[in-house]
Amino acid sequence: MSDQTQVSGHSLRAIGPHLLLPLAIVAVVAFFALLQPAMLSGDNIANIMKQSSLFFFVACAQLVVIITRGFDLSVGANVSLVSVASSMVMTAMIPVFGTGLGIVLGVGIGLLIGVGIGAMNGLLVAYGRINPFIVTLATMSIFTGVATTISGGFPIFNLPEAFSFAFNQMIILMLPIPLIIAGVVAYGLHFSLTKTVHGRVLYVLGDSNEVALVAGRRVKEHLFLAYVTSGVLASVAGLLMTAQTGSGEPNLGTSLVLNSIAAAVIGGASLRGGSGGILAPIYGALLIVCLSIGMNLQQINGSLQPVVIGAILIFGAALDALRTRER
Amino acid sequence: MTAHAAIPESRTSKVLKAIGILPFVLVLTCVLLALYEPRFLRVSNLINVLRNASFLTIISAGQMLVIIVGGFDISVGAIVALTSVSSALSMVGLSSMGIESAGVIVLLGCLMGLVPALAVGIANGFLVSVLKISPFMVTIGTMTIAVGIAGYVTGGTPIYDMPELFTREIGRGKFLRLPYIVYAAALVLALLWFMQNQTRLGRYFYAVGGNEKASRLTGLNTRKYIWLAYVLSALLAGIVGLFLTARVGSGEATLGSNLMLESISVAVIGGVALKGGVGRIQMVALSAIFLAVLSNGMSLARIDSKYHIIIIGLVIVFAVAAESFRESRRNKHV
Amino acid sequence: MTSTTTKPGAAIAPGTSDAALIEIAHLDKSYGAFKALEDMQFELRAGEVHVLFGENGAGKSTLIQIICGVQPFDSGSYRLFGETLSSLTPALAHAKGVSVVFQEFSLIPDMTVEENLFLGHEITSGGRLAKSAMHKKVQAVLDRLGFHLDSSARVSTLRRAHQQMVEIAKALLWDCQVLILDEPTASLTDHEAAQLFDIIEQLRSEGLGIVYVSHRMPEISRLADRVTVLRDGKFIATVNKADTSEKELVQLMTGRTFDEFFPHIQRNPGDTVLAFRDVTLQSGLAENISFSVRRGEVLGFAGLAGCGKSEVLRAAFGLEAVETGAITTGGTKLDNNSPRKALNNRICYLPSDRATEGLAMHQSLIANSTIAALDDPVFSLGNMLLNRRAETSFTEKMIDKLKIRTPGLHAKADQLSGGNKQKLMIARGLSREFDVFLFDEPTVGVDIQAKLEIYDVIKTLTEEGKAVVIASSELAEVMHMSHRVIVMREGEIVGELDGDAVTENALLSHFFDHGDQDTDQPQGHPTS
Repeated sequence: MSDQTQVSGHSLRAIGPHLLLPLAIVAVVAFFALLQPAMLSGDNIANIMKQSSLFFFVACAQLVVIITRGFDLSVGANVSLVSVASSMVMTAMIPVFGTGLGIVLGVGIGLLIGVGIGAMNGLLVAYGRINPFIVTLATMSIFTGVATTISGGFPIFNLPEAFSFAFNQMIILMLPIPLIIAGVVAYGLHFSLTKTVHGRVLYVLGDSNEVALVAGRRVKEHLFLAYVTSGVLASVAGLLMTAQTGSGEPNLGTSLVLNSIAAAVIGGASLRGGSGGILAPIYGALLIVCLSIGMNLQQINGSLQPVVIGAILIFGAALDALRTRER
Repeated sequence: MTAHAAIPESRTSKVLKAIGILPFVLVLTCVLLALYEPRFLRVSNLINVLRNASFLTIISAGQMLVIIVGGFDISVGAIVALTSVSSALSMVGLSSMGIESAGVIVLLGCLMGLVPALAVGIANGFLVSVLKISPFMVTIGTMTIAVGIAGYVTGGTPIYDMPELFTREIGRGKFLRLPYIVYAAALVLALLWFMQNQTRLGRYFYAVGGNEKASRLTGLNTRKYIWLAYVLSALLAGIVGLFLTARVGSGEATLGSNLMLESISVAVIGGVALKGGVGRIQMVALSAIFLAVLSNGMSLARIDSKYHIIIIGLVIVFAVAAESFRESRRNKHV
Repeated sequence: MTSTTTKPGAAIAPGTSDAALIEIAHLDKSYGAFKALEDMQFELRAGEVHVLFGENGAGKSTLIQIICGVQPFDSGSYRLFGETLSSLTPALAHAKGVSVVFQEFSLIPDMTVEENLFLGHEITSGGRLAKSAMHKKVQAVLDRLGFHLDSSARVSTLRRAHQQMVEIAKALLWDCQVLILDEPTASLTDHEAAQLFDIIEQLRSEGLGIVYVSHRMPEISRLADRVTVLRDGKFIATVNKADTSEKELVQLMTGRTFDEFFPHIQRNPGDTVLAFRDVTLQSGLAENISFSVRRGEVLGFAGLAGCGKSEVLRAAFGLEAVETGAITTGGTKLDNNSPRKALNNRICYLPSDRATEGLAMHQSLIANSTIAALDDPVFSLGNMLLNRRAETSFTEKMIDKLKIRTPGLHAKADQLSGGNKQKLMIARGLSREFDVFLFDEPTVGVDIQAKLEIYDVIKTLTEEGKAVVIASSELAEVMHMSHRVIVMREGEIVGELDGDAVTENALLSHFFDHGDQDTDQPQGHPTS
């Protein structure tokens, strides 16, 4: 019957995205390399790797909740607050406890903040049954406010060299440390999404909450955990980005919210929930970072760069709409 | 089981259901504020509150229309910025072309200023209603693009040298001690009230947002109404852009950056349901006044402006939690 | 806009029953490769009730969607009021005098009854809504239909039956020549249904042509003048009701006789595994329910839709909150019941609404078949890590055993046909050990072949010593599959039949028996 036609259509569509994005990334790199050979220089490629790794974490944070048919608009506020708070803890604690313990405390506080923000989102979304858009919009404004308030709106300098070294400059086996951490996180996330009960339930409840409920799953717990995961991933991004800039910045995450959603969706996660794997944030992050680094090299006006990103965002969403309409 | 379908309820709960708790919270806030800080009641301060509330009402009215048809408009803030830049550039350009009459320059400048706003609205409407892309993604995209263009055109510096008529008269002029924007807001309020209560168009907006498929089966052109909502939202945002530009006296690419968040907050606090199909302009106006009073009160109390967004965030969570609580109770009855 | 302006069918004298309002011949309609209708023919005369009869998926819905302009057709001819049509929109059909009551509600929940009734056809004067004129008209129509509805109530606050009444009023607000009713009694209580039948008979006598979609025998025998039978998108026959019998109709519909259709299930009653004692639900949709079911038997729940039979099953599975009374399973009392708890007490529920509650439509067959059993050590290590190999082999086994036709193991549930979706849900029921199987409308939206296979599964389960409960609106199904049948009406159990006592007449007498009921509602008793 009609099953036959659906099969071939399905396999085409299944292969399509897998090829489309790597090709698009290669095309972007090749395009800029033609204009500026520096695009392919070792330094630049290392830079792309590093930047993509940093961006990858926020895209992952977004992916985890997009799978559940949610959103996390608070990832940017999360990054900013983690940046400011962990920097403040480090600068305050290092004179007392020494560099090593100070850094550990700072990082610990950062991760704890991630858990806290994620837990607050998760409580309101999963247990309060409030629209995730509104919840995270509110927590975004709350924690952006907290970040500017505790820092007074100014960057926090004098972070220990060791922090930047350990979380940004260190190179192990020719690989920059952010890339290594990204690799570990990518594997972990992939594993939990595809090989654990939790991951399976996330996809199912993203598809339909009721189905997961009728199948006897603890829907609220899993949803809550997804938001906590998102919070922690965002806070990891905050720590790594702070190590990159070398200072605690109260508006470090401002531009990340939209870009992170863009990356996840362009990479193949659907806003209707229930789909998207680890490749989505990887491809999405690479594509966006390659574009913006390429445009920087080409010295395209900084204001025009968002225009390109915005156009790509709409294009990605249009592809998503097309995909979901067909299925 | 009786044949009568309606659930019997007490008079007070009926009133509460009709108007919600917002008016009471507003009055309470005003009274507390007046007791705590008598300066709140000064005429100049009240006018100031009213002006801010008017800006918020107009932009939130557009947001409300879009949310009623089941969407979102994240681009409103960017439209304000874009309108500011385009109107300022148009006026500067027109006067350098040698047009003498300030009136003509201002009129043409304002009209040309609204062109990009309308373009964004039309694009939003097209992408959402015809291509069926998620409104969230569409308006994030157009927002990014609009902000980028505004920033690129100005190069990051404000545009001055607009006619005095515009900056002084429209920006700071008053009629019967009230700024013009208040009248504009009143007009928007009246027109939208009429539309929502007295016209087919108003009903169709609710119908499309309430159940799109059913509306289509009934024979409504659902695309048209969704599209129209985005265009109206962009137009209202453009009007706010013009007034704000006149008020600050220059075309700025960063104008209105808070308005996206604030307009959604106002709409949500005003009882506009995110699922679509619900929302009344008078409640949105009330909610705009509430938010304006709240931030005025915080300023008067010398609460650092950085805290404002924290408090607004908390108010949103509270408002939505209260709404979803009411909703779940209502569903239990059925 | 008023109602009297557009009446293209006015040339036809009312009451002359040989004037054809609708003539459809050689009509084809496909969705992609799927042929929804093939060489269809249909005729509707003024002053008749013409029943469309067929299984789910036989093409009834497609046909009425074409008649009212929601769907275009590919080829063939469609004459409406003597005029050959090539294209039709819902608005145009409405203007010509075709009104439809869809099975799926076309109401806007957050608008009032009155606003819904006029949606798309508001009366205006000078651009303003003429609210008082509309209000008058609504009252007139509601009075004529005898519906007690508050026209200013929001639709979302109405019970489903009342929403159905609004739908019907909406169709009859404007004068029409053709009225199409798609399973209109699906959510009505019997009293309300009887009221509806009176209205339909009144409209017929006024000369309307009525297309009535249903597969319920009692309704057909009461209302129909002619019956057109569809099967697999094909026209089978149009028969006069007077010349036919239920047996013949079912044979036409299924292409088989009753006896070869339903399997004979051995009855070996064992110990009681599920019992209700005086259970009343918080929603009030079922009250004072007491029954028990034992291993090795099939218990059927019959009654019109909306009688509460589905809610009883849902309560056993923790999807309806219990107000008073006790549900016990094998001696344990299920307090604060939830699906999770029910599953752990070896109760399996297969919902009627596969799209929203049954299957995660965009997930693979594997994910869907094991989702309820992920706590089981067979499928997961410590309830944490999935055992994907076990999942895959289980799913393969099920595809084989239940004959699920699928493009592959990793196909999405959405890609399956209705019957295969239902089998996929049954596979979930076999993914862990259960004692009780609750089937809610087990064959809704399922083609005949799959239906037979599903009946076979039920037979096997029962004979293996499981307890099976079936709630179905298809009378023949409950009647022939169950060893015992409980009949419900308006949320209460009104009768229980056992073994040989389960006959159609006995069941129907319970369906419509009003003897001591409804003393406060004098009108609307069926006249039969």
